[in-house]
Amino acid sequence: MTASANRRPLAGIRVFEISIAVAAPCCGKAMAHHGAEVFKVEAHSYPDVARAFGSAWARDPELADVFCDTGPYVPEMSAGKRSVGLELKQPQALEAAKRLLATCDVFLTNFAAPGIAELGLDYESVKQVCPDIIYAGMTGFGVDPDKPYYPFRAFGPNQAPLVGWDALTGFPHEEPAGIPSIAPPDYMGGLHTMLAIVTALHERDRTGEGRFIDISQLETTVSFLGPYLVGQDLGVPEPFRNGNRVSWAAPAGIYPCAGNDRWIAVEVPDDEAWQALAGLAEWSDVPAHDAGGGAALSTYPHGTLADRVANHDAIDAELSAWTSRRSPQQAAAELQELGVAAYEVLNHTGVLADPQVHDRRPYSIAPSPRLGRDLFVRNPVRLSATPPYVTRAGPNMGGDTVDVLTEIGYSEDDVEQMVSDGTAFVDARPEVVLERPFDRWYESVGIAEFYDAEGSITGGSQ
Amino acid sequence: MSPAQHGHGPWNGVRVLDLTGLSGAYGTRVWAALGADVICVEPPGGNPIRTMPPLAPGHAGPEASLWWAYYAASKRSVVLDPTDSEDAASLVKLIGTADVVLDDAMPAAQEAYPWLADMGQGGLGVSGIVERYPHLTWVSITPFGMTGPRRHWRSSNLVAWASCGLASTVGFPHGPPLAPAGEIGVLMHGASLHAVIGSMMSVRARNQAGAAGEPALGQTIDLSLQEVGLWLSPETGVPLYLDDQVPRPRAGNRRPVTSPMGMYPASDGYVAIIAIQPAHWNAVAQWVHELTGNEGILDEIFIDIVVRREALEAVDAWVEELTTRFTKQELFVEGQRRRIPITPVNTVGDLRHDPHLEAVGWWRPEEHPVLGTYTVPGSPFTTDGDWWAWQRAPMLGEHTDGVLAELT
Repeated sequence: MTASANRRPLAGIRVFEISIAVAAPCCGKAMAHHGAEVFKVEAHSYPDVARAFGSAWARDPELADVFCDTGPYVPEMSAGKRSVGLELKQPQALEAAKRLLATCDVFLTNFAAPGIAELGLDYESVKQVCPDIIYAGMTGFGVDPDKPYYPFRAFGPNQAPLVGWDALTGFPHEEPAGIPSIAPPDYMGGLHTMLAIVTALHERDRTGEGRFIDISQLETTVSFLGPYLVGQDLGVPEPFRNGNRVSWAAPAGIYPCAGNDRWIAVEVPDDEAWQALAGLAEWSDVPAHDAGGGAALSTYPHGTLADRVANHDAIDAELSAWTSRRSPQQAAAELQELGVAAYEVLNHTGVLADPQVHDRRPYSIAPSPRLGRDLFVRNPVRLSATPPYVTRAGPNMGGDTVDVLTEIGYSEDDVEQMVSDGTAFVDARPEVVLERPFDRWYESVGIAEFYDAEGSITGGSQ
Repeated sequence: MSPAQHGHGPWNGVRVLDLTGLSGAYGTRVWAALGADVICVEPPGGNPIRTMPPLAPGHAGPEASLWWAYYAASKRSVVLDPTDSEDAASLVKLIGTADVVLDDAMPAAQEAYPWLADMGQGGLGVSGIVERYPHLTWVSITPFGMTGPRRHWRSSNLVAWASCGLASTVGFPHGPPLAPAGEIGVLMHGASLHAVIGSMMSVRARNQAGAAGEPALGQTIDLSLQEVGLWLSPETGVPLYLDDQVPRPRAGNRRPVTSPMGMYPASDGYVAIIAIQPAHWNAVAQWVHELTGNEGILDEIFIDIVVRREALEAVDAWVEELTTRFTKQELFVEGQRRRIPITPVNTVGDLRHDPHLEAVGWWRPEEHPVLGTYTVPGSPFTTDGDWWAWQRAPMLGEHTDGVLAELT
């Protein structure tokens, strides 16, 4: 199959993205995987943190100028996008940005509202050059300066504590564990934004009109607490963190397995699965001191959910003793056989070795201007006739400036002038092509589809 | 649902059959409020979500679950028993009227529906259904996808977080891995948003093809919870690991990168602080100094994040002298005024009374014939158009007769 046979659903949609970190970039990334042409407009004077992170291995001072192209977050967030280097605080650069905007369908940003207005790219200004623009602004706390949190800083890792997710992560007898090393609220913000953009495109197909979309991260992510928020007025007790347990299925938890730091996640979804589990003859093998004195599994072979919830500690003790004598893979296979939801708690090397990941290849490998080729996760929405893909990793910071500006009517001399006077920039030393230390792994890991520059899949299965 | 509601919202005219549970419910809730006619097709006993706690106090039965009250908002309910041949025939007809079907049945079920076999079509599966109704988009939301050696394995929000690598990095070093936000089911919400975005794109592409005089064809979508998890967590994914080959261990609620970074105790709970940039640190140090008279904290050497990492316990203790004196909301408002990235570690009760959500008029009253009147969260985002139309959740089978009458 080749790319040309696949007219992806957002083919023909042009997106002007001015963004930082994750929330807006992951939205633009998903749109690129589904066929949109996404222009990531970047500046050295306020670089995206994904550029600043760089890579763990390219620390040689001689590589300082290309460091911004080496980070794994670059393809993770921006593979398939085109990078346009414009220092928008310069009037001439802003003029070029507006010329580009006039050709676009969507404006996407997660810059704070005052910051984007300072750059001259607030909704009214953008609408002047592109009257039917779909303008998606992602903020921490909305765009109304009269509201209490409007001036506050929304910072990715601070979002989960703010919106109630951190307090619900952890065990009841401990401090909240929180989720400081990951950023699901940012991704959820990006998903809501994409949903809103696709809705606005659908609307525009009928009306011909654009739309202003205000994605305030606070409301977006607090929305996930709905049932519990509704309960507050009805006298339902506030929910409290409860480990890995859930109110509607038991037992549920993460249990230790044989080996060092090996674990399995287990959730018994229904009575039938419980009866199959409780009916295992092996429970008589569980040493009494491990069983918490309850012998709960064999005592409650016909236990209802309420019984299982009431005896969850005792069940956990027995189940832990059982899982501790098995590898996570063996325990998962045995439990799945009984109809119990179970999986090894994979770490990074576990994902690399996972048979399902090897079979379905959720990662992509595509040519990269700086790194030869690069690895990144593919959008999971596998449309049968028009599956998502991109044909290029990277992009280099400013690597598409010349092409994009000449496409919108600038001459090569114009662009050269803009680069020499610092209003635009191109990628540093495009001839420098590095290789990730792990590049040789690609052929063997078997977790990715390979794409060449024409979009042909050159390996894997599709 | 009153007929008046039809005809409103950008997705007006698009019909969606929701056969899912948690993995579809949030996304279809949003879609319904944006004008799509989302019909929950329920078995006679009701969708499993109807039994999920918390239940409204004093209530039992199919309307009592607050999950249902929230996630089924703006949808319609049609009860059909696929083991009954008449109902099975109605279901097939109903599918024919839909633009999109979202289904979370296990792959083996989706490959051969007995209720289609009853129609004399010998175990017809999704591929057969979409062949019969080529305009249809059919979304299969399954634990591990429709293909591969683990396709028949079961999953859940917790198990999916385990299967994508993320859970291994959440929790304290001395304890087991954890699902983020527990039973809130963040991954399920993410899956439902992906399912709906994919469906919306497919419907739009179909309509555009039709408008251009090309065949207006739907597609199937194969969405795996494990792969949704991988997409949501590049932080713990393969490309980052292969770049630095550094495992990401569970580090609890503070990141030992520098101080202050992570959770600190307030007088009534916790706050989260991230002070990496020098300006953020200086603002923290100045505040501690003003309150406690601590001179040492103003020493310039502490501007270096590495110095603060090496003196982690001392710096953390200084910061705690500040944080324990105030409530989390006081720390939030004053800290933000000082341009420090600080937020309260909010509980559900805190958020219900949050002054900003109150000020933006987010909350909305809802009346329910069984549960009475209560307050529900507003729209997850806003636009300058008239997009949203919220309705209470449907009672079990509330729309069966009306919808079936349309079919004949």
